Amino acid sequence: MRGQRVLVSGMGGELGSLVAAKLEDEPWVGALVGIDVDPPRRRLRKAEFHLLQPSQRERIVDVVTKFNPHVVINLSVWEPDARTGLVHARQFTADAATAIIGAAAECPALESMVVRSGVEVYGRERGAPTRPDESAPVRPTSEYGHMLANIEQQAREVGRRIGIAVGKLRLAPVLGKHVPSPLGRLLRQPLVPFSVLADAPFAVIEDGDAARAFVAAAHRRLDEPVNVVASGAITTLQAIMRGKRVPLPLVGPEWWVAARLSHVFGAPIPDHVVELMHRGRLADGARAEELLGCAARLTTPEVIDHLYAWESVVRIGSISEAVA
Amino acid sequence: MAQLIEFPIKAAARAGNALVEPLRSAWPVHSVDDFGRDPHLIGALAPFARLRWNVSVGGEQHLPVHTGALLVCNSRRFSLSAVYAALALSEATGRPVRFVGRPDTAPIGSLMRRLGGLLAQPSDVLGALRHHELVLVSAAGTNHPRHAGAVPHHLVGPAVVAGVPVFPVATMSSTVGRDARVEVGAQVRPRRKRRGPLAEVELAEQVQHHVQRLLDGFGGVQTGVAPLDWLAEG
Repeated sequence: MRGQRVLVSGMGGELGSLVAAKLEDEPWVGALVGIDVDPPRRRLRKAEFHLLQPSQRERIVDVVTKFNPHVVINLSVWEPDARTGLVHARQFTADAATAIIGAAAECPALESMVVRSGVEVYGRERGAPTRPDESAPVRPTSEYGHMLANIEQQAREVGRRIGIAVGKLRLAPVLGKHVPSPLGRLLRQPLVPFSVLADAPFAVIEDGDAARAFVAAAHRRLDEPVNVVASGAITTLQAIMRGKRVPLPLVGPEWWVAARLSHVFGAPIPDHVVELMHRGRLADGARAEELLGCAARLTTPEVIDHLYAWESVVRIGSISEAVA
Repeated sequence: MAQLIEFPIKAAARAGNALVEPLRSAWPVHSVDDFGRDPHLIGALAPFARLRWNVSVGGEQHLPVHTGALLVCNSRRFSLSAVYAALALSEATGRPVRFVGRPDTAPIGSLMRRLGGLLAQPSDVLGALRHHELVLVSAAGTNHPRHAGAVPHHLVGPAVVAGVPVFPVATMSSTVGRDARVEVGAQVRPRRKRRGPLAEVELAEQVQHHVQRLLDGFGGVQTGVAPLDWLAEG
């Protein structure tokens, strides 16, 4: 099993960089190649990185097929309003999925593919399971959910055609120190809206725990979907109170105004976050420990506490004007 | 040299603290469990529930201490029997008892989820049973307080799949008075071993008979006129 070639698509993101850093420490990983539109956010010793746009399909195919990986980890997912708006997020995610999954299918050595998905794929329509497990039907009700369901479908079809293991990690909303997340950004605003009539519970996952799950899934050649969720749950109001923010109770129609105002103040609220606040977002993550051999270290309330423990501005020393 | 403009976060935090502090001291900042049940809210609402129901619980020693179990109770229409029975059994056993049949529309559905409600769907019931929870399912509602309605076999099925025991629970309350009673019977053991869906159908019928037997044991007014019975004993 030693000397495996691993390709990480989306290595420039916070989660991708974290996964790459953890993969470098794995004894079974021989060579590591990454692709993304941004350079990695961490110092990587072994990994070889290619700065490529999702639209550069031919170059992506060239890089991937030359590397001929045993394992592909696809983290090229743009959550709406995390790093870019909905339209671009949808376009980039679709382009990247087509290019990476398509290129991977051309690699003769490929044995396994692990794709990033999310618990948003279950949707929160009326009557949807309160705490869906992996057997629940995929019925997304948000744009982000549809994007993730499309990635899962593409990966599943490729897996079936070329006969490889395809693991789908359905992550709860990922929060972490540097993870661009619309939910995290919104919760850190001084004034945070919440649905006073619903105030539904949700669960999250810390970025470090999510990264460990990807490494374990790649190592174990996961061949099915698995929910990756921190234990416990929290409601928006409870999160606001933990963060000592001012809660802004909203009932219904004023959500539209609040969302626009929040956008102006730098924290846009995409539809899947509105859905989370109104309908909740829980998932049963019990199988992760069995399938991946690792459980989330931090509970949902602890992840929320970490969210609020970050400094707004981290000063790393005084800047001398003479030098500038 | 560009200057860093900061939002007055400290002033906002101070204002937030002043506004929220009274609420925070009264309300814990983490009180919901994995399924969204909020024991603190239940504790806060308990005095109001006691204004409506004075529940006496019996037979709770039948219930398992650690493992999951499916409880099936009878239900008189509009009596909220599943709610008061779940709250009373939670208090009696010291374990959360989740009732099945919350609506999925805010604000009632949200409030009932915080009280421990689950959707009337096999996936919700199975998920809770697999996590060793006590789940209370209602039989079909009846107008007569001592008639056990049909037990929905699709909600009993998860107990068969999860391999947890099933217990009958008889409930009775008054429409006008506060007195209510919840009686847990002994575990219902299937007469025959079945490999297919007949297992849950037969088990559901068997549970209905057990609940009916418990209700018959309650005794009570029998005028022969259903509306009078209904008003008299609820």
